[in-house]
Amino acid sequence: MQWITIFKKELLEDWRNFKWVWVPLVFIIICIMDPLSTYYLPQILDAVGGVPEGTVIEGPELGPTEAIMFSLTEVSMLGVLVIVAISMAVIAGERKSGVAELVLVKPVSYFTYISAKWAAKLLLVFTAYLIGMLTSWYYVNLLFGDLSASQFIGLFLFYFIWLIFVVTLTFLYNTVVKIPGLVLTLSLITIMAMSAINQIFSFRMPWFPNSISEHITTMLAEGAIPNDLWGAAGITLGLSVILLVASNFILKTKEMAD
Amino acid sequence: MDVFMMLAPLIIIQFLLMIVAIIALLKTEQTNGPKPMWAAIIILISFIGPILFFIVGRRQY
Repeated sequence: MQWITIFKKELLEDWRNFKWVWVPLVFIIICIMDPLSTYYLPQILDAVGGVPEGTVIEGPELGPTEAIMFSLTEVSMLGVLVIVAISMAVIAGERKSGVAELVLVKPVSYFTYISAKWAAKLLLVFTAYLIGMLTSWYYVNLLFGDLSASQFIGLFLFYFIWLIFVVTLTFLYNTVVKIPGLVLTLSLITIMAMSAINQIFSFRMPWFPNSISEHITTMLAEGAIPNDLWGAAGITLGLSVILLVASNFILKTKEMAD
Repeated sequence: MDVFMMLAPLIIIQFLLMIVAIIALLKTEQTNGPKPMWAAIIILISFIGPILFFIVGRRQY
C-alpha cells in the first residue's frame, strides 16, 4: 500500500510539474523531426533558395526501416538527454530539500521508496516514447512506405530496454550524489563512455547494452530477431536490476544527514 | 500545399509546447532568474526554449 502511495505521489508531482504534458510533446517533435526533414529536404532547400538554377537535388532513397531508425537515433541522443534531465532530481532533489527524510522517517523501506519512484518515472518515459514513436510510425507509413506492426513493436520494445537502463543509471547516481546537476553530468559521461567502449570493442562484446540499436537495425533488415539482440537485451535488463538493488544499498548507507 | 499539410502538426506541437511553458511560467512563483527573461527565451527560441525553461527555469525545491 505504501508503494502505491509513493507511486501516486510521484505521478501527481510530475503532473503538477507539467512533465506529463511537455515530455510527450517533446518526444513527438524529437521522433518526427528527422524523417520529415529528410523527406522534404529538396523542397526545403528549394524554399530557402540559394541553389543555382538547374541543380537537381535528389534526396537519398530511403526505405521505411531506415526512416524509423532516424527517429531512434534522435531518441538515443536528444531523448536520452531529456530522460536524464527529468530524472536527475528525483531522489537527489528530495534529499537536498529534506523531503526524503520526511518520507523515510516513517516505516517506509528504502526499496519501496526507490522502486515506486522508479516505476513512476518509467511510466512517464514509456508513455512519452510510445506517443512519439507512434507518430513517427504514422509518418513513416505515409511518406516512406509500409513498416509492419510486428517490426514496429519489436523495435519499440527492444529499444525501451535501453531506456529502462538509462533511467536506472540516473537513479543510481541520484543515490550517490545530492546535486541534480552533478547527477546529470555523471549519467551523461557514463553513457558516452559506454558508447565509446561499444564502438571500440563491438566485435568482442556483441551483448553490450549500447549495441541494442545496431542489433535492431539487423533485425529490421533480416526480418528475424538475432540472438545477439536477445543477449544484449537480457544483459541490459540484468544490469538494470543490479543497478536498482545497488542504489537501494547506497541510499541505506548514505544517511540523510552529512 | 501538400508540404504545408504534412509539416503543420510539427508547427502546432511546437506552438502547444510554447503555450504550456508560458502557463507554467505564469503559475510558478519563483524562477531561476527574472521572469521576463524566461518569457523571451520561451517565445523566441522555438523548441529548445520551452525545454530549457522546464528543466532549469523553475525553482522546484
